[in-house]
Amino acid sequence: MYKIKSWVIENHDLAFAILLAICVYGYFALTNEYFATHRTGFAIMERFAVLGLVGLALTLCIIAGEIDLSIGSNAALAAVIVVRFTDSLGAFPALFIAVSVSTLIGTIQGYFIAYLRVRAIVLTVGTLMLLRGVALFVAQEKTVMLTDFRVPDFISTKMMWYFSPASLLVIAMFVVVGLFMSYTRYGREIYAIGGARKEAVAAGIDLKRPMVIVFAISGLCAGLGGCIIGLRSGTAQALGLQYVLLAGTVAAFIGGVSILGGKGGVIGAAIGTLTVNFLNTGLVFNVTPAFMVQLYLGVLLMIVIMFQTGSRFFDDYQRRQQILFDVDARKAPLLARKAESLKRKNNIQFG
Amino acid sequence: MSAPITQPTPNWLDRMVRDYSAFVVALVAAFVVIFFIGMATAPNFLTLFNLKTIIRDAALVGIMAIGLTFVTLSGNFFLLSLKETAALSIVAFATSMSAGYGFEISFLFTMVIALISGVSQGVLIGLGGNPIVVTLGAAGLLFGLGSFWSDNLVISFRRPHGAEWLGTGSFLGLPNITVAFILIAIAAEMTLRYTTFGRQVYLIGANRAAGKATGHENFGMAIKTCAIASVCAAFVAIAFSAQFSSAHVNYFSSEFGSSGDMTIMVIATVMVGGNSIMGGYGSSLRSSFGAVFISTVDNMMVLHGFNSGPRVLAVGLMIVFSIMVFALVRRGSRSQE
Repeated sequence: MYKIKSWVIENHDLAFAILLAICVYGYFALTNEYFATHRTGFAIMERFAVLGLVGLALTLCIIAGEIDLSIGSNAALAAVIVVRFTDSLGAFPALFIAVSVSTLIGTIQGYFIAYLRVRAIVLTVGTLMLLRGVALFVAQEKTVMLTDFRVPDFISTKMMWYFSPASLLVIAMFVVVGLFMSYTRYGREIYAIGGARKEAVAAGIDLKRPMVIVFAISGLCAGLGGCIIGLRSGTAQALGLQYVLLAGTVAAFIGGVSILGGKGGVIGAAIGTLTVNFLNTGLVFNVTPAFMVQLYLGVLLMIVIMFQTGSRFFDDYQRRQQILFDVDARKAPLLARKAESLKRKNNIQFG
Repeated sequence: MSAPITQPTPNWLDRMVRDYSAFVVALVAAFVVIFFIGMATAPNFLTLFNLKTIIRDAALVGIMAIGLTFVTLSGNFFLLSLKETAALSIVAFATSMSAGYGFEISFLFTMVIALISGVSQGVLIGLGGNPIVVTLGAAGLLFGLGSFWSDNLVISFRRPHGAEWLGTGSFLGLPNITVAFILIAIAAEMTLRYTTFGRQVYLIGANRAAGKATGHENFGMAIKTCAIASVCAAFVAIAFSAQFSSAHVNYFSSEFGSSGDMTIMVIATVMVGGNSIMGGYGSSLRSSFGAVFISTVDNMMVLHGFNSGPRVLAVGLMIVFSIMVFALVRRGSRSQE
């Protein structure tokens, strides 16, 4: 019991995320009799395959203290490429091309962010538009479609009640990235440049390496997510997938990242995405229109932001109080001595 | 005699060699050459009618961009919720018009709603929330509210209505929206240049620490600038609705128009105009010219017969180009980061 308590105190963000996930799941499980079945679980895992990747990518970017706004465009580009070339080249070469293009785009972005020393939002808002243009160009302004539906059938085959090849791949990706972030030097460098960039650079970390790695992983995740969504539905639009940025950001923030960077982790990203997926799927079950999901996500993000800003204020307040307390504690003996001497002086004068 | 202490003032060529690297000069020169070749070869480009078309196309994005310039200059990056603010405003305006309230009351009602949304975002940003994340959340919220209010339907109002003069009327041969764009551009430039508020915007954007030390907190500034940006977005929504006599939340999304997402177009305009996205450097006049410039390039590409793909690509290239040139020119100066 004591162990659990100390774990909760140590990882209060993660504990909060788990609690929120359980609450959301519990609410829908209690109000809807079909929600807690393995079929719904499979549907949730299928959503997790796409949103989980986006949530993971955004979590890494926010850990590094930046935000990748171009993630939706990158995913749309990958989806368009993979759907366009699957018929002529086969699924695996097309997948390979699409994912390499996305990863390459991410790498170039990371390099330029570090080289030009601009903030990521500045560059990625440009590439957001640029990649949409490229995607429109590749798709020739049409909705591209598959003609052979064996691939979509394969990637959503049900395995072990809950999983499909796509979601198993994503879970493997989560494990690999989680190990990379926790146990390698490059992963720790990403935390370092997010939490305290000046100090990290002063300690000898080359800004380029972690930045390139973060954006390469972000591009890889976006590309893979786009490919999965494109291959599963068999169609892709160059202007689609705009909603993933909001959903992914909400997932990352529920998972416990801080906008100041250096905080959060892969487990948090997984739990945050699952929470968003519970909400999404549950709202679909209750016949809510699609725009209401966006409304709820917006409200959720605003609440998390307010919570974070509030806790920052509280931390500042506590720190100020602590400083005042320390000063008082240091002053107290001096004041006492001064009072003593004053008293003695007075005694001599008037006593 | 010792050498003179003051050097002679270098002429423009010397200054260019001193300040800008060869790469930057080559980039800009290549762009200018492409621009002029395109202009000379496009059919019917240099006609008065086409010139008017360009400015009319620039007007809507331009007005929003002028509003956003205040936010950018004050160092709060940009708002990702402009399109959604406009979507909520257009629904509010059309609902009020179709209920028969007349232009003036509908206008005020829409402006109040836009002000509320702008001020609440500004409060969150001013308290220290990241502008991007706050407005990303606000975007989802406002769009959801707009869809919920209009039930995701097109709201239309009958043709002889009080807003017709704004949507389809013209003044001295110019459409009224263009006139409004020019007036707003002049007013914004005057405000930024000659009023205390305008100078405070620059101060806080250029050096937030100095601003704080001299008593100019970002809290009030974020609220004011976000309110200005939201009001400009609402004005665009009203003008748009007056032109079409209808409203739908998707009017500003990329699914509706071919020229891409409105929010990103506005941000592109601010960046291409040559404002520093870090704040403190630029002007609203630059944003207006940026709008005219993007609209010129778009017009040129339409006349050359390009589809929407290459046109979106061109705008994207212009943004990345402007970011790179800016970053390379201002490398090593204090205003970066």
